[in-house]
Amino acid sequence: MRRLVIIRLALAVPILLGVSIAAFILVRLLPGDFAQTAAGVTDVSAATLDLMRHNLGLDRPIWAQYLLWLGHALSGDLGTSFATRRPVTSEIFPRLAVTFELTLIAALMAMAMGVATGLASARLRGRADWAVRLWNGFILAIPNFVVATLIVLLAGLYFPQIGIFNYTPFFTAPIANIGSLLLPALSLALAVSVTVSENTRAAVLEIAAQDFVMVARAKGLRPRSVLWNYLVRNALTPVITVTGLRVASLLGGSILIETIFAIPGMGQYLFDSITSRDYPVIQAIVLVTAAIVVLVNVLVDIAYIRADARVEM
Amino acid sequence: MSDASALPVEVSAPRPAARRAGYWLVAVGGLMLAVMLIVTAFGPFIAPYNPAAISPDSLAGVSAQHWLGTDSIGRDVLSRLIIGGRTTLFITAVAVSLALAAGLVLGLVSGYMGGIVDQVVMRALDVVFAFPVFLLAIAVVAALGPTIPNLILTIAIVYTPILARVVRGPVLSVKRWDHVEAARSVGVSEFRLVVSHILPLVISPILVETSLTLANTIFTVTALSFLGLGPPPPDPNWGGMLAEARQFMELAPLTVIAPAAAIVFATLTFIVLANGLRDMLDVGGQR
Amino acid sequence: MPTNPKADPTSETFIAESAWRLSRRSMLSLAAAGGAFAISPHAFAAGGADPKAKRGGTLSIGADADPIGLDPKTTTAYSSYDFTSLLYTGLLRWTPDMQIEPDLATGYTTPDDTTYIFKLRQGVKFHNGQPFSAEDVKYTFDRVLNSATASRLAATFAGIESVTVIDPVTVQFKLKTSDAAFLRYMATNPDGVIVPKGVDGLDTKPVGTGPFKFVSYQPNQQFVLTANTEYYEEGLPTLKTVVFKFFKDQSALASALRSKAIDMTWFKNPKVAALIARTSHDLVSAPGQTSRTFPVWMNMKAAPMNDVRIRQALSLATDRKACLQTVLGGSGKVGAMIPESQVGGYDGVSPMPFYNHDPAAAKALLAKAGHPNGIDLGDYIVVAANDLDVACSQILQQQWATAGIKVKLKPMETAPLLDMWVKGKWPTLLSVALSWSPDPDAILQRVASNAVFGKNMGMHDAELDKMIADARAQLEPTKRAAENIAIQQRIAENAYVLQIYQYPLRWEAWWDYVHGYHPLAANIRSYVRTTWVDK
Repeated sequence: MRRLVIIRLALAVPILLGVSIAAFILVRLLPGDFAQTAAGVTDVSAATLDLMRHNLGLDRPIWAQYLLWLGHALSGDLGTSFATRRPVTSEIFPRLAVTFELTLIAALMAMAMGVATGLASARLRGRADWAVRLWNGFILAIPNFVVATLIVLLAGLYFPQIGIFNYTPFFTAPIANIGSLLLPALSLALAVSVTVSENTRAAVLEIAAQDFVMVARAKGLRPRSVLWNYLVRNALTPVITVTGLRVASLLGGSILIETIFAIPGMGQYLFDSITSRDYPVIQAIVLVTAAIVVLVNVLVDIAYIRADARVEM
Repeated sequence: MSDASALPVEVSAPRPAARRAGYWLVAVGGLMLAVMLIVTAFGPFIAPYNPAAISPDSLAGVSAQHWLGTDSIGRDVLSRLIIGGRTTLFITAVAVSLALAAGLVLGLVSGYMGGIVDQVVMRALDVVFAFPVFLLAIAVVAALGPTIPNLILTIAIVYTPILARVVRGPVLSVKRWDHVEAARSVGVSEFRLVVSHILPLVISPILVETSLTLANTIFTVTALSFLGLGPPPPDPNWGGMLAEARQFMELAPLTVIAPAAAIVFATLTFIVLANGLRDMLDVGGQR
Repeated sequence: MPTNPKADPTSETFIAESAWRLSRRSMLSLAAAGGAFAISPHAFAAGGADPKAKRGGTLSIGADADPIGLDPKTTTAYSSYDFTSLLYTGLLRWTPDMQIEPDLATGYTTPDDTTYIFKLRQGVKFHNGQPFSAEDVKYTFDRVLNSATASRLAATFAGIESVTVIDPVTVQFKLKTSDAAFLRYMATNPDGVIVPKGVDGLDTKPVGTGPFKFVSYQPNQQFVLTANTEYYEEGLPTLKTVVFKFFKDQSALASALRSKAIDMTWFKNPKVAALIARTSHDLVSAPGQTSRTFPVWMNMKAAPMNDVRIRQALSLATDRKACLQTVLGGSGKVGAMIPESQVGGYDGVSPMPFYNHDPAAAKALLAKAGHPNGIDLGDYIVVAANDLDVACSQILQQQWATAGIKVKLKPMETAPLLDMWVKGKWPTLLSVALSWSPDPDAILQRVASNAVFGKNMGMHDAELDKMIADARAQLEPTKRAAENIAIQQRIAENAYVLQIYQYPLRWEAWWDYVHGYHPLAANIRSYVRTTWVDK
């Protein structure tokens, strides 16, 4: 088990290296660069632009730029943003925190909705089951950016007084901050709740048929307490795993929601930095998101291996 | 990396009730798909106006002339919706076909050969998988231009690792099954073995997953178009229509609701189909 | 808008006159009027604040772009100017009706056409407490002209021969040739602003003489400024705090304004702005002067665009008024090379050659050029991120099609598009809108065949080059305006650039509890200094 985890983590190194090289080359192959893009239509002479490029180190050969970047990255320095001229690490983490918070709220919402519908579907069966399935199928079919757009539309039409675009930083007003993230989180949560719901339903059905639950029932425990004590607790483990998996995909997928609700998170940051060709920022975001994806995958693998081991026991 | 799908496919006893429901769902999904295909196939004949025709009558509401009103530069929303569906569905279908073809080859080869080949292929796909979709899309569009073939290429690249994994998982377990071993022992060629003995056994989960991928691809296509990375104007597409309409949505809610409804309808079609197929073909609940 | 000759910023009397005019309009209540100002260096220090103003409070401004660097001398980004215009000040500045008035200077004399001697305000301090003097002025311009600084302004101020400190409150600029653009650049923020001598790191820690001081900046979130209590205009700034909040998305910006999450903002899309203004009655909306033009740039280095008849046919096939109506909802004017807010800018109605919409004549011209069955001009490249540009390009495509001219639209990401445009590498047609520039000469340089851009575009017109050079050297505004009109007519006659329409780059809007604010065609918010809020 431990060996397997070590191998998995060791394999993550070449993957991250591959991703970083691919990103490095790809963004530099794109036509246009930061100097020109920042200038826009302002008339800046070619000589000035070249000097700016030199100052940014863009006139060096690409392999030299990569090695320099890698050397710094290994010592924890992800470079300086071309646009803000501040260290990328100090720029990226506040945004990562925002996206993470948004994702967390969405995950909690999805858990609440999913577990409720899943339980209802598994316990009540029949019509309730079908109603839940229908509902799940329907909300799964609404892409999150469509949900978000419709929320914005409804708010604009009927509740213009609520400030849906009033993002507040957490440290200035924590309550307002969470409040400002509720609607964006909802648009992310709907689709995830379907996965949670389906898994809850499956887990509850599976566990209800298992020996220890039968035994508990035979011992004369009230059905309700059997449900809560055994069923839910045991069924929740796979549900949490699945939610975790979906949350990892949310981290990368919140770009649209962040754009629509004007939330200063990672998604918007990536989009802006690509548009402005802010190479160090793009590079850092790619590395961080790839690391998250790889890490979550390793965790999922471990979870599955443990699940398998339990089955074999 | 994630070998989630490498878990053995659950092969349970047939559940007649679930199967019956499955047939119903497939029928409903099929009907929805048929409606969509007919509307898109005959789009140019059905659409009341040229979808690019601009008129001074902008942001008009519902009327006998314009059933769904007009957009911010006076184009008929219904016509744009119909023609836009062609673009969106065409990109989706071709991209998924390409990803499926590539995924099949990579998944079969990787799962059947195992060992070093498997490791190399899967790790290479991991790199693609860990790469942000939008960076890839923007890179392709910026380097090669926002054309339909480029968009298809991007989406095919994004979905190849996912489908390859879906194929590889069942192959891993199926290749050890008795009749496969038997065929191998009587000297059936490797290629024939894979194509005629392994492929048929893994086709059901692939069918289900393809249907889900179609739903996801509609999401990706419309999302990229929404972000301005879609096919170029004047040809309409659903994601682009939604994005364009947002600025004036309080004045003309229908310009937002119409493409949103179309996207939901198309996605729902493939989700219903996937659910139906899963029940009908009795593919395990593992996703 | 032809400039009022009486407000000509070339003689000393101008200052007095403009001060008088302004006080009469009560835009700035200046204590000193008439000729007093030129004598008393403190004349301006007394003016500015509105006695009715409610002091203190916070103004939230919705911004659509983050700054890229806060050093006014090295930033090249338009989005930074919004912030530098509150942090820094220069020797001169623009009034709401785009006249030049003194700021850090108290006045200037021009002994000859190439010499400007500025008298400076006394007792001014930078935000770090360092006193402002003539040394800082010299330092600023020496820094700009030093190639190691990599300042875009080195080209702007290339006409400066020397800057000399005569005494701590007097500085002399010697120009190489007479230059009508010089004072206009000096009045523009950030081009002409003064930075403190010997202070580094202005990009992240700006230090200026402006009415507001830098407090904090969280990218994509907010930019906070606080009142400079030692600001040199009596009673200003009125506000205590100014907060910029960032909304990349225009619809988010609109909603934020509507929900009063922000007190004021500006819109890129005049149609959106007009609609919001119409639906919210307590909103003050200021369309502002037109400062932006939407041109189609043609690559004239090769066939078919090197044929003047094809370019003229394109112009005749274009229905500019229809574009204006459909894309801008009528909030703009037909455009020529120079927007109306500039010296000699086009008023949108005077006749221009080949501006009439005549598809039949266009077809006839095409036939004469050897294309009786129409012509395919290939890719027409536009900025994908600009809704207005993309909308207009679709209309143009249809208009041109009726005259037998086919194009394929290719919206492109901004970075590769700019690269292509600047280097003259686009195939046939490309549109990128031109923003406000301090002087019309900057716009005309685009079509000068002796300038890099014009050369890249394939310009060969020595006569036009001469006209452009003469206009820049022309210090008499009415004459300069007439020369600029003639230049634009020549451009239209040869269809070197196909200008479609002009409109305000930024349509400003604010709630009616915001007072004392004036929008500027210069696209900066200098008048936040006199703004006050009464919620």
